[in-house]
Amino acid sequence: MSVSKADNGRQKQSITRVLGNYSFILIFFAILAVYLIINAGATTWSGVMNILRHSTVVGIIAFGMGLAIITGGIDLSVGSMLSLIGGFSVVVFNATNSPVLTLLFSLFAGLVLGSINGLLIGRIKMPPFIVTLATMMIFRSIAQYYLRSVERKSIFNMDGTLSSYDAFYSFGQSKLFDLIPTVGIILIVVTAIMVFLSTSTKYGRTVYAVGSNERAAMLAGISVEWVRTSVYIITGVLCGLAAFIWLAMNGAVDPATLGRSNEMYAIAAVVIGGISMSGGKGKLLGVLFGAMSYNIIDKIIAAMRFDALINDTIKGAILLVAVLIQIIIPSLRRRLKKAGD
Amino acid sequence: MALLQMKGITKSFFGVKVLDQVDLQVEPGEVHALLGENGAGKSTLMNILAGVYTRDAGQVFFMGKPLEDTTVRSAESAGIAFVHQELNLFNDLRVYENIFLRKELVKVLGVLDKKEMIRRTRDLMNSLGVDIHPAAMVSELDTSKKQLLEIAKALHANAELIILDEPTTSLNNDEIDLLFSLINRLKEAGKSFIFISHKMQEVFRIADRYTVLRNGLLIDTGSIKDVTSTTLARLMVGNQYTDQSVYQPRELGEVVLEMKNLSGEGFRDVSLSVKKGEIIGFTGLKGAGISELFRTIFGVLPITGGELVLFGEPVLHNSVRTAMRKRLSMIAANRKENSIIPDFSLLENFYVSEHRLSSRKPLVRINRELNRYRVHRDTLSIRASTAHAPITSLSGGNQQKVIIARWLNTQADILLLDNPTQGIDVGSKAEIYGLIQQLAHAGKTILVNTLEIPEIMKVADRCVVFYHGCIHSILPRGDISEETVMIAATNAIKSEVHA
Repeated sequence: MSVSKADNGRQKQSITRVLGNYSFILIFFAILAVYLIINAGATTWSGVMNILRHSTVVGIIAFGMGLAIITGGIDLSVGSMLSLIGGFSVVVFNATNSPVLTLLFSLFAGLVLGSINGLLIGRIKMPPFIVTLATMMIFRSIAQYYLRSVERKSIFNMDGTLSSYDAFYSFGQSKLFDLIPTVGIILIVVTAIMVFLSTSTKYGRTVYAVGSNERAAMLAGISVEWVRTSVYIITGVLCGLAAFIWLAMNGAVDPATLGRSNEMYAIAAVVIGGISMSGGKGKLLGVLFGAMSYNIIDKIIAAMRFDALINDTIKGAILLVAVLIQIIIPSLRRRLKKAGD
Repeated sequence: MALLQMKGITKSFFGVKVLDQVDLQVEPGEVHALLGENGAGKSTLMNILAGVYTRDAGQVFFMGKPLEDTTVRSAESAGIAFVHQELNLFNDLRVYENIFLRKELVKVLGVLDKKEMIRRTRDLMNSLGVDIHPAAMVSELDTSKKQLLEIAKALHANAELIILDEPTTSLNNDEIDLLFSLINRLKEAGKSFIFISHKMQEVFRIADRYTVLRNGLLIDTGSIKDVTSTTLARLMVGNQYTDQSVYQPRELGEVVLEMKNLSGEGFRDVSLSVKKGEIIGFTGLKGAGISELFRTIFGVLPITGGELVLFGEPVLHNSVRTAMRKRLSMIAANRKENSIIPDFSLLENFYVSEHRLSSRKPLVRINRELNRYRVHRDTLSIRASTAHAPITSLSGGNQQKVIIARWLNTQADILLLDNPTQGIDVGSKAEIYGLIQQLAHAGKTILVNTLEIPEIMKVADRCVVFYHGCIHSILPRGDISEETVMIAATNAIKSEVHA
């Protein structure tokens, strides 16, 4: 008798639990539906695929942000890393005429910048918010300063006369089987790797453990210093990859604007994805949907010919709604359970 | 007339009855011990009394008046104060600010009258004979002082009945004496206490009457004078209780752990050699340095002098992981803070440490982990619905078993247990001590730090008594008794000589 009752309770719970844990999918499809309705006749395959394509840069850096937030930290410098790495990657490309060397440089530069954040936070134990706030200011400023006083230009432009420019640029525009944008595939691959890393590797579990109870994690043998350092290094490398993809897509970097507010969009994508700002909880898969949701909003505003300045009002409102859902569903679940008794 | 009468209290959570027709009666000026294992319903009953939970059925009369729709605030104003185990003080406020919280004295224009509040706080402390400075920051007080401050706060709010939930867990013997003398004085002044504790000695020292709960049912109530601790323990655990010692002599092996004048933060000049299969009980007053010694052996704190030799090799490890590689493990004190990863399932809590040793194989293989977990679940008899349940859904005793399983899973040969039975009910305590015996038989070497001397008498081959960071004496099994240990722990003989 009591067994069947318990089973019932579990079932009821599991439906609402799935809704609670995967609310990011609900939000994504709701926004997608709005977009499809507004866009009605004008909807095309490539229009939908552009959502994926245009989510790539923010999406990739948001995965790093997600890891940092799971440890209980934050990385405000992601947008500035994008700007600094992007700018210097242009310089490297123009000097080497090699997309491969440019990619290696981007990743390595990300590793270096991420290590600076990581060592200050993990090893010296400075607060993540302060460290990355400082490097956010420093990294972008270096990019801008170098551009104006050394290059004496206002924008980093890839040299279009170089022999491999066309190959590099068209990689950014290319589609696999003429169907799916290559950069979108990179986003999917990064998603797969990050989800696998966080759920199925021993390293991934230590990231959660540190965010959940740092002291217990330390006494269980986890090197908290290293875990903290490593998430910022991973974030840096992902920013390097994102900067490279930005170059392939756009061919130029304006250090004053590239990546501006991206840290905020990345945080929002992480939160919409259901990751707890206090650390230890949440799924990285949600980050993909969070980033795509935000991108669709851009497209809705463009389709409706709204003033682009209203953009952040809507994005802010969506963020509030997303968090509201995450708070309401668990309390709904408790009420359902009570009613079930 | 009774001060408090609770009649037929019934309460269910999610369809499970946690209290069924429970009665409780407290007279004016008595200390009433509320006894039962974890999960017996003590906390639920007290939370109903204090207005944290609402009852499903039953009546409560306090000072002759019925209490209906009790809220925390209405219970407080009726004169019921609940001193929780995890104290509810504001650490960042001063002592007087905590006392006068929500009842601040003001001068004109709502300016706080700090002088008067400090003066009254000082008077209150003096009348209680408690040495706490009114303007001290609460964060700077030690736990015992905080406990006394909580009681002072309750009295300032005119409490007639004070509920003390395991008040002595983190106190040393002197501090317990201080607390008990305060309780006795207040009792004479007509105040009543409900005293929740797992420590039988204390119940017999301080309580007048008792009520025993088991599985949400009222089992017995009566006068302490009429019972013995064995009867009470039996009432609490039901049929499963046995008082007999679990000790069995063993063949000891070679020396596996040796300390030569080892010094660290909080202890110095510790020399001891421990043989394979040995169980050593460590005890001393709180702050005697044993926890620090354990943490130093385990690589959490640095070695500042002397030598530590493990399995014949001198070590200078500087991290937990290197200690783990030397086949050491430590079940830390204060499970909630130091062991439990609250967002993890019990399986994840189980495998987390072993992964540190096998990180060369980077993937989590759930089936392998489940198989390993099941083996430990069976030997430790962990009671949980599934391995994927959140660790926080388990009782304290089962949580602790999961943590023990975590360390057994690392194949450690030397286990350091720092207060392993803290906040665990009698039944689980007995299981854990039985387990310690089993593990020693299987060749594990075990060092236990505990404040409870009867626990040492149950299992230890030798007892090491600490006093002020040094080994005071090492007692062979035959010499371990409450008296000898307490004399050593309080350094009683030496001070007599000096005097």
